[in-house]
Amino acid sequence: MATYFRRVYLSFAEHVLDVPPRLLASMIFLILLAYPITKPPLTILYVLSVANIMAIFAASWDLLVGRTGQMNLGHALFFGTAAYATALFCKFFNLQLWVTIPLGALIGVSVALIIGFPCLRVKGPYLALVTLTFPLILISVVKYFREITGGEEPIINPRFFPGLPMYGKQLADYYLTLALLFVSGVILYKIANSRMGIVMVSILDNELASKACGINVTKYKLLAFAISGLFGSLAGAFMTHMGSGASVNYNTYLGVALSFQAIIIAIFGGVGTIYGPIAAAYILVILDMYGLGKIFGWFASNNLIPASIIQIESSMHWIMYTLVIIILIIKWPRGIGRFTTDKLKDLQEARELEERGKHIWKTYKRKKEESEHASTRS
Amino acid sequence: MHLLEVENLTKRFGGLTAVDNLSFTVDEGEIIGIIGPNGAGKTTLFNLITGFLKPDSGTVKFKGEDITRLEPYRIVNKGIARTFQVVRPFHHLPTIANVMVSLESPRGSRKIEWVKSPERKALELLEDVGLTDMMLEPAEILSHGDLKRLEIARALATDPELLLLDEPFAGLNPIETDFLTKSVRTMHMDGHTMVMVEHKLHALMKLAKRVIVLHYGAKIAEGKPEEIAKNKKVIEIYMGRKA
Repeated sequence: MATYFRRVYLSFAEHVLDVPPRLLASMIFLILLAYPITKPPLTILYVLSVANIMAIFAASWDLLVGRTGQMNLGHALFFGTAAYATALFCKFFNLQLWVTIPLGALIGVSVALIIGFPCLRVKGPYLALVTLTFPLILISVVKYFREITGGEEPIINPRFFPGLPMYGKQLADYYLTLALLFVSGVILYKIANSRMGIVMVSILDNELASKACGINVTKYKLLAFAISGLFGSLAGAFMTHMGSGASVNYNTYLGVALSFQAIIIAIFGGVGTIYGPIAAAYILVILDMYGLGKIFGWFASNNLIPASIIQIESSMHWIMYTLVIIILIIKWPRGIGRFTTDKLKDLQEARELEERGKHIWKTYKRKKEESEHASTRS
Repeated sequence: MHLLEVENLTKRFGGLTAVDNLSFTVDEGEIIGIIGPNGAGKTTLFNLITGFLKPDSGTVKFKGEDITRLEPYRIVNKGIARTFQVVRPFHHLPTIANVMVSLESPRGSRKIEWVKSPERKALELLEDVGLTDMMLEPAEILSHGDLKRLEIARALATDPELLLLDEPFAGLNPIETDFLTKSVRTMHMDGHTMVMVEHKLHALMKLAKRVIVLHYGAKIAEGKPEEIAKNKKVIEIYMGRKA
């Protein structure tokens, strides 16, 4: 049985996975683009939209930490700042969403630059602790100015295209976030692999040597903060106008859990690859928001687990979720992104070797035939 | 005007005086060797010149301009490049990208043809130090000798006028030493002025035109290699006093 599965997997890997990574990525993107044709239920569309947002968020974290090496444990700061900024602009100035979202992103970038300055004075674990505190400070600020921010009450936001029917709204969310993911994913990947990306990695590897190469390290670190903040903010600003509630509250938008979710996704996907966190966001968000619930339901309906567990599902859910992540990270410590590209490279090398072998065999046979021919003639 | 002027430079670490009221000058086109026993303050001197440490007193002037308290990267962009005694490669980057980091600095990207195709320039520099075979391998798999040469290529990529080499021959085998001696000669021909800290006196004496001897941070002798080799004080600090 096991060997049979192994053979099926190998033939699958050989015939389906054996494509250049870029082609694989565009194929997945096209599938995502065409997916709503199958009329999926609202929940799935919502989960996928959230996955898009989390993918942008994790990828932006990855540019700052995986590429530049500036440990950031409070990435939710950008997400939350932009979310609150857009929500407040909507609430008090009644501006269009197409104005408030760029404004929110702008505020997110300025916050990134402002916190960038003090953050550049500290390094390593100290930087991690400093960044961890900023979202917590902002939570206190939100709570203190409760007349403006609503305090612990969420701010209800308008959605994109309020005129559309329920399903149409969700579909619009899905396509908007997918478009944003595509654009920001390409930009982040291009930056990470550009000449600027090389300098960023040099700062991660050895800051002192980078200075000795004449690099203005401060400038590049601030740039990384700003770019990372921009895409993190965009993700937050889009998130506020999405989903059934479409509301902002500090617990989900500024909480430590959100910051750590970005880190978990990025590590699971492969730190420093940009495409890894994007793929990982899909896997983990779908598992978290949809898959685990389905699995529990299936088990319960088949009387494999007592139905009473469903009542404590939320705590059970977290246990299962973390367990799955721990197992997967132990299995692929360098992340699924790197794992996949390594596999593809191996397959390609194997194919090249095979082709070269065939070529050698052919020339060998031809020469043999020629020599035989010559010998028979003589 | 001298290229580099160091005047009354002093640096103390607590009670220890690492560099003690040191003055010397470097002229354009020279190769200067700095020798001294372990802990004589040679590397500290390099760190002071390149801005990685701030001196307690004294000044460093480059082409008549005071650069004493500038940031390290600004000093590099004025035209002083350095290598490190303990190699500091960028592990995650391919060898060629290690050199391209320097080409991204303001001084490295001063020349149009360098900016247009930094890959080509980086390849040329790797050719100069003999690392073209390894250009696409990540720097973490390079051997110590290769990393030493990579450090020099990376320093050259900032287009320096003055090159500070901190023990370039340390840990190299004789073949690598010979190769590096040749490349240092070529670099000198290309018009780079060099200051070199070295323990392998044999290799140094072949290259340097002038040698400065440091002992406990102070200059105790200066002159041509042959004179230094006969200097009683120098022999004393290296070999000990005759009983």
